[in-house]
Amino acid sequence: MTRLSLKIVGAQGQGVNSVGEMCAKGLKRSGYCVFGYREYMSLIKGGHSSYQLDVSADAVRSSATLVDIVVTFNHHGLEQNLRDLKKGGILLHQTPQWKFKNPADQAFIADQKIHVIELPTEAILKKLKAKPILGNVLIAAAVWSLLGQKEEQLVELVREQFGHKKDLLELNLQCIAEGFAACRVIAPGMTLSLPRPDPRWQDHLLLTGSQAMGLGIIHAGCRFYAGYPMTPSSPILTYIADMQNETQMVVKQAEDEITAAQMMVGAMHMGTRAITATSGGGFDLMTETLSLTGITETPAVFILAQRPGPGTALPTWTAQGDLTLAVGAGHGEFARLVLAASDTQDAFDLMPEAFNYAEEFQIPVIVLTDKHLGEALFTQPSFDQGIAKLRRGKLITGPQELASLKSTDRYDPAVVDGVSKRWLPGSEAATYCAQGDEHGPDGSVTEDAQNARQQMEKRLKKMEALQQAIPEPIYVGPKNPETLIVSWGSNRGVILDVLENADMQQKNIGYLHYQYLWPLKTESFAMLSRTAKCTIFIECNHGGQLASLLKLACGRDVTQRILKFDGRPFFFDELRDGILSALQS
Amino acid sequence: MKKPAPATGSTMHDYASSNPCTWCDGCGDYGIWTAAKRALVELKIAPWQVLLCYDVGCHGNMSDKLGGYRMHGLHGRVIPLAAGAALANPTIPVIAFGGDGASFSEGVGHLVHGIRSNYRMTFVMHNNANYGLTTGQASALTWQNQPMNSSPNGIPESTLNSMDFVFSLQPTFVARGWSGDIPQMSKILEAAIRHRGFAYVDMLQACPTYNKFATHEWLLAHCYDAASEGHDPKDFAKARALAVDTQQRVATGILYQTEDVPAFHEHLKARQGVSTTPVEEVKIVDTSRWLKRFA
Repeated sequence: MTRLSLKIVGAQGQGVNSVGEMCAKGLKRSGYCVFGYREYMSLIKGGHSSYQLDVSADAVRSSATLVDIVVTFNHHGLEQNLRDLKKGGILLHQTPQWKFKNPADQAFIADQKIHVIELPTEAILKKLKAKPILGNVLIAAAVWSLLGQKEEQLVELVREQFGHKKDLLELNLQCIAEGFAACRVIAPGMTLSLPRPDPRWQDHLLLTGSQAMGLGIIHAGCRFYAGYPMTPSSPILTYIADMQNETQMVVKQAEDEITAAQMMVGAMHMGTRAITATSGGGFDLMTETLSLTGITETPAVFILAQRPGPGTALPTWTAQGDLTLAVGAGHGEFARLVLAASDTQDAFDLMPEAFNYAEEFQIPVIVLTDKHLGEALFTQPSFDQGIAKLRRGKLITGPQELASLKSTDRYDPAVVDGVSKRWLPGSEAATYCAQGDEHGPDGSVTEDAQNARQQMEKRLKKMEALQQAIPEPIYVGPKNPETLIVSWGSNRGVILDVLENADMQQKNIGYLHYQYLWPLKTESFAMLSRTAKCTIFIECNHGGQLASLLKLACGRDVTQRILKFDGRPFFFDELRDGILSALQS
Repeated sequence: MKKPAPATGSTMHDYASSNPCTWCDGCGDYGIWTAAKRALVELKIAPWQVLLCYDVGCHGNMSDKLGGYRMHGLHGRVIPLAAGAALANPTIPVIAFGGDGASFSEGVGHLVHGIRSNYRMTFVMHNNANYGLTTGQASALTWQNQPMNSSPNGIPESTLNSMDFVFSLQPTFVARGWSGDIPQMSKILEAAIRHRGFAYVDMLQACPTYNKFATHEWLLAHCYDAASEGHDPKDFAKARALAVDTQQRVATGILYQTEDVPAFHEHLKARQGVSTTPVEEVKIVDTSRWLKRFA
């Protein structure tokens, strides 16, 4: 796979994201697969943020450490991002009369044959009498020119965005023309060669994991969203809220996470599909509610969007440190399902499943995502609308069946799989209490020992049935791999990119990817790791949390762990080198 | 969307439970329990047509002592639980019950936003001015300097003026009853259940075991029906003054009510013109029409 990488840097609020998104869209439409990766700080204006695009004619789902072009909005990028460039790379800036004063920088530029190019943005905008915001279009045009792309494609994009505002459109088009003209002067004949485009990417979608998850929530028939803002779950709230007039969903920004969780549970009890999303700290606040759903057997769906902890830690960065939190959160013992989305496909597909399992087993379901998946930009085939089915388990709605119900059917401990009948307030039937205290079959409070035992056994029996119902982890690779890689969540993209590389293809490596994490499926892992010479766990946490859970479940210790816990996802070359060195040791 | 309940002719018997009550002799919960059932019967609401939500506390032990769909959740959290249910199906009356401990300490934020948001629900605040089920600790509404379990010298803080607090939140319905007057409590609850938005009902209740200050006898001597003295519940300022001033006498009945403020769900622009409830709308939704914008 040949990839070209491009990084746009600047202060937050300067337009880094809009240039990144415009270039991404244009490149995808030209027939390239694009992967967009954002880094930003926990502040609104200022700071230093970046938007990196990795572009290829083949599938690309990760970022490289070094890039071919750095585009910087301000002089900080000149100093801080110079060393992000590959040999022969281009540094495009707009700081007039900039000189590198540091001798080490000068030597680096000379050794690495870096092209430092200044775009006279200020002068051009002054000439056009255009506002500073139009500098974004100018920069995009310069990038477009350096990538050897056609001016008309950019014109078409801008027309789409500003077509309804004639004056603004005219200025935008002038900026594009000026950007191209400037490049002919400042970077004559300098274009980076992109591989031949592949038209299959043109009809793909370009969207973030949060948008895909939002679409998955809507697709699942969820009609009520209650949330409280917290990065990196907020983009899901934003997307669902922005869509409410079209979806006619009830959207509530609650006064805190406890409220959001309680509202979701109340709405689920009433019988709609409802959801809440938060990050680690907010999820901590929700855990008492999580435990309540364990005993009331109310279906519930929580999205836990991970970022580094403990405490506030790194609010705008990524991590996979909350797997054991999801598995163990809430007091007492109760059945639950934990799953993790790894890319936009998963984010869409897993949401209907999360609701289906929640209703079929009358349990809380926790869907893990993280900042990397939530905010990265993926090139994604259009979502198939025909796969998901509505499964609501033992929900009784027919008048005849309702009429025959007894209050004691609600928590009947005699049911084989632990899942008893459920019916909704407003159904003409015998009533019951969804009881948070230990209770008998109709929800009446009882502290009787035998009953306590029966009800606990009833509730936890669901775990066995659930274990049978959920799929095994996804395996790709040879039948008897010499090396087995095990991972989960948003690492999937970078792992697949590394493994699909030609030099890795000959190494007899298999990859086992967990979507369903709890209850833990161990069959495939036990079989594959038994014969593999080396098993490598790849996780973005300090402890190797999945590795530890599998060790507990299988008693099998793993030989290698490649772990990262600095808030950044694995980069392509970094992971490739990590796997290669693990194979040598 | 508030469908009138069909005249099913429910009786007190339909709301009866075979579980024996576990409250102390003379507990005010007996009166509130009876009034709640009576109000539902008077409104011709059958047990299957209502959702009763309970906080954790002595009052929460009502959850399995009557009919109706019920939910018994966490301490301090009954308001958002009930609000979520009410938003999911605005055609089902939702009544939440909680105590003064839960409502003015653990879950006070929920009370603030429940009133402010004006969800269509009734909130019955069992006010015995202490934490009963945990054996008589002081709540924010316990009288200052009153020795209680775990505060033998009395609590240093001044008593929270709950009515002043509630009125500061621009409520749309405020009533006060007391556990010795079942007919009045029933009438209050009937009006509260019919109310357009969030109905706040303060039920002063005797707690013979732990509350030795506002006893049944004290309440009997101090409570009076404000309507009998010509109080107009449309007058916000007078209602507030009447509710707050409990030095000599305690005004009861519907103190303030306006039906002019739309409930939370009525305000939702996204739901204008929608005739179904979110409960009825659960189905797999084709999202193709929204995908073009990502192309």
